[in-house]
Amino acid sequence: MRYTEDEVYRASSQFRLWSFTAEQLAAQRAETNKAAVERVKAAVHRQRAQRQKESVTGSESERNGSGVDNQAVNGVQKEVEYLTVAEEQKIVNHLAETLIKLGEHFRFPVEVVATGIQFLKRFYLYNSPMTYEPQLISRSSIFLANKTENHHLTAEKYAAGFPKTTAEQILAPEYLIIQALRFTFDVRHPFRGLKGGHMEMMAMAQGQGIAPEAHGRTAAEMQAEMLYLPVRVGGAQNRMTPEELASRITTAYTKASSILKHAAILTDAYFLYTPSQIWLSAHLIADEPLTAFYLSTKFPSPPTSSPQYNKLLTTLTFCKKLLLSHHSLSPSNSSASSEDEMKAKEAEQAAGIGALIKKLRHCRDPDKIDLVKLNKAVKRDAVQDGQLEEQKAKRRKMEREGFKKEADSFWGPELPKKE
Amino acid sequence: MALSPMDSPRSVPGPAKTLAAKTKALAVQNAASSPLSSGASTPTEGTMDLAEQMNDQTRKQFVTGARLGEGTYAIVYAGHYRHDPTRLVAIKKIKVNADYKDGVAMDAIREIKYLQELSHPNIIKLHAVFSTKDQNLSLVLEHLPLGDLEQLWKNKDVRYGGADIKAWACMLARAVWFCHKNFVLHRDIKGNNLLIAADGNVKLADFGLARSFADPFRPMTYNVITRFYRPPELLYGARYYGGAVDVWSMGVVFAELALREFFLPSETDIQQLSVICDVFGTPTEETWPGVSKLEFYTPPSNPSSRPQPLQFWRARFGILGDDGIELLRAMLTMDPKRRLTAQQVLEHRYWTNAPRPTEKEDLPKNGGGAKVMGEDLKRRGGEIESGRADKVARKLFG
Repeated sequence: MRYTEDEVYRASSQFRLWSFTAEQLAAQRAETNKAAVERVKAAVHRQRAQRQKESVTGSESERNGSGVDNQAVNGVQKEVEYLTVAEEQKIVNHLAETLIKLGEHFRFPVEVVATGIQFLKRFYLYNSPMTYEPQLISRSSIFLANKTENHHLTAEKYAAGFPKTTAEQILAPEYLIIQALRFTFDVRHPFRGLKGGHMEMMAMAQGQGIAPEAHGRTAAEMQAEMLYLPVRVGGAQNRMTPEELASRITTAYTKASSILKHAAILTDAYFLYTPSQIWLSAHLIADEPLTAFYLSTKFPSPPTSSPQYNKLLTTLTFCKKLLLSHHSLSPSNSSASSEDEMKAKEAEQAAGIGALIKKLRHCRDPDKIDLVKLNKAVKRDAVQDGQLEEQKAKRRKMEREGFKKEADSFWGPELPKKE
Repeated sequence: MALSPMDSPRSVPGPAKTLAAKTKALAVQNAASSPLSSGASTPTEGTMDLAEQMNDQTRKQFVTGARLGEGTYAIVYAGHYRHDPTRLVAIKKIKVNADYKDGVAMDAIREIKYLQELSHPNIIKLHAVFSTKDQNLSLVLEHLPLGDLEQLWKNKDVRYGGADIKAWACMLARAVWFCHKNFVLHRDIKGNNLLIAADGNVKLADFGLARSFADPFRPMTYNVITRFYRPPELLYGARYYGGAVDVWSMGVVFAELALREFFLPSETDIQQLSVICDVFGTPTEETWPGVSKLEFYTPPSNPSSRPQPLQFWRARFGILGDDGIELLRAMLTMDPKRRLTAQQVLEHRYWTNAPRPTEKEDLPKNGGGAKVMGEDLKRRGGEIESGRADKVARKLFG
C-alpha cells in the first residue's frame, strides 16, 4: 500500500476543520459577526433594564430620591454602533502583526509565532472581537502556541514581559481558546517544505537532481537547463556560472522564506491553501522562472500538456495573488518611496486602527469583559454544582473507613472470605 | 433575593454577574418584569458563544457511565453514544493539576494534539473532545475492553505461540511506522500502552509524551520513555534523536512477548545501562561511532561487557525462529544510526516467512475487561503500574 503525502494531509485537522473556500470563510465570518452583535445587543438591553429597575427600587426605598437620576440613565441610551466584518478583520490582522513583533521581542521560534497567529485567526473565525478582547486573546494564543510547539516558557515569566500583567490574566482565556480551536492544536506550516524544495533545487544545480523516471530527464540535463534559466519569464536565456546559479537559488529561498514569515501567516492563506501550495507560491513570487523550472521537473515533458500541471499552476496563481495583496509585499512598500512617505503611511494606519479600537470599546459584550473573573466564576460554579458533592462523598468514605479500622482494632478484622 | 439592593449589580460591577446561576436568575426576573428583555433569546442559549454551543453539542452526543479508574492525571469512565447505546466509548477526564502553574497540562495538550491527527487501525481512536463546565477536558476514546499486551504475557492462563506473537508485534510495528510517517515520536511505547480491542486488534495508546520530529539542531529532552524501554542513547543523554528511540522500545516489547517476563528490568537509570550492556556489550567508538561524545557516556571499565553470542538469543527467543531473532536484534542495535527504521522493520522477511501471523479474531484473549482499560488509560506517560518512585522524571517540555 502506498501512503502519500496527500493522504497524510487530508487526515490532518487543518484540512478537516480549518480549510475553506473563500465563500465559506466569508459566510462563517458574517455569521459570527451577526451572532456577536445580537449578543451584545441583548446584554446591553439586559443591563439597561437592570439599571432602570435598580433606580426604581432605589427611589422606592429612599422616598426622597428624585426621578432625575432615572431619567439621566435613560438619556444615555444611544444606539450602539457595532463593528462590521471588515473592521473585525482589520483589528485581528493588526494584532497578528503585533504578535510578530512580540515574537521577536521574546525570541520565540518562527513556528511558535506562526502557530500563535493561526490560533488567533482560528479563534476569531468563531468569535468576534466584540465578545472577547483581542489583545488578551492574542497574548494567550501565543502562550498556548509555545506549549503546543514544545517551546518552554512559564506563564509567570511570560506575563512579566508585559506591563501590569499577571500569569492569571494570560491563562484565563486558555479554555476559551482551546474550545474555539475545536480541540485541535496541530498547525501545518510551509517552512519545512520550502527548506526541502531549496535543498532539492541545490542538488539539481549540482547535477544531482532526481526526476521521476517516466519524465526522461537526466540529472545532467536538468543541470544544463537550469544554468540557462532567464532572469524573467519570457526573458532571454542567460548563461550563469554554477556559483551564480547557487547564489540565485539561495536568494530566492531567502525571499520566499521572508514571505512565509509575514504575508503567508498574516493573510488567509492557511485557511485557503495547503502548505505546499503556499511555499510554492511564495517561491514563485521570489523567482518565477526558477520555480516554473522546478515544477516542470515533476511532470512529463512538456508539462503544459498535463491537466494536473495546469490545475496546480492556476491554484498557485491565486495563492500568489493573495500573498501579494498583503501590504508587506505591496510595490509602494518595497520600491524607493521615501522614508517620510513610509512613516506617513504607518501613522495613517495606526490612526485607522486607533479609531477602530475606540469604536470597539463602545460595542463590547459587557458580560465578557473581565475574563479572569469569568474564569474563576465558571470554576466556582462547577464546584458548587458537582465537585463539592464528590469531595463530601470522599470525606465520608474516609470517615467510614476510619470507623471500620477502629472497629477492626477492637473486634479484630473480619475473617477472610472463603474462595 | 438577587435583586436586593445590597446584592445589586451596581455594587458588584460588571462580570461578577456572570455567575451562571445569577445571570439566570436575573434573566428570569427580567423576562417576567421587563418588556425590554423579550428581545433576548433564552437565557442559556444567549450566554453561549458559537464555540460553546459546538462544545455543548459534542458533549451531548455522549453518555457518561460508571467510573472505571482514577489516577493522578485522569479519571476514566465507561460511556456510550447517546443515539446508540451499543456504541461504547471510554471517557478520559483530565484532572486539573493544582501544582502545574501554566494552565492546561502538557500531557493533555500532547495527547489531544496527536490523536486528532493520527487515524489508523492500530492507534487508539479519539472520537471527540469536549470540555465540561468545570473546565476539565474530556477525551472520548475508543472502547478497548481486552486488556493490554503486558497483562497478556503475564497471564499464565493464556497460552500463545510464535504465530500469535508475530500478529501482535506486526500490529505494533504498523502503528509505530504510521506515527513516524506522520513525523510523530511516541516516546512511551511499552506493553501496557498497547491495548487490545474486542476484535483482537492491538492499539497504541497514551500520547502524553509524544512530540513531532524536531528540526535539525533543535535539542529535545532525553528524559522520556519508561525506563525498561528506554534506548541507550537517551540514557547517555542524547538530545538529538529520531524514530530510532521508538524502535528500541518496540524491540523490548517484542522480546517480552516472547520471554513472558520483563526483558531488561532495572531499578535505576544507571542500572538500566548496565543491564543493557550486559546483553549487548559496552559500546565503544568502534561499535558505535559518536557514542563517546554523549553527555553521560563513560568509557568502559575493565573488564567491559561483551555482547551475548547467538546461543544466548536462541536459548531464550527460540519461539521467534531465526528470522525473528535476527529482526529482534536488528531492532535492538545499540547504535541508533544502524538500528532498523520502522519502515525497515516492516520490510523484514520475518513477517512473510512461515508461520503466518494468526488472524486477529483467532488470537488468544485476556479476560481483562473494562476495568483494566480504565487502569491503563488513567495513567500518565512514563508511569509504571505500581505508581511508585520509578516514574520518569517528566520534563514538561522538550
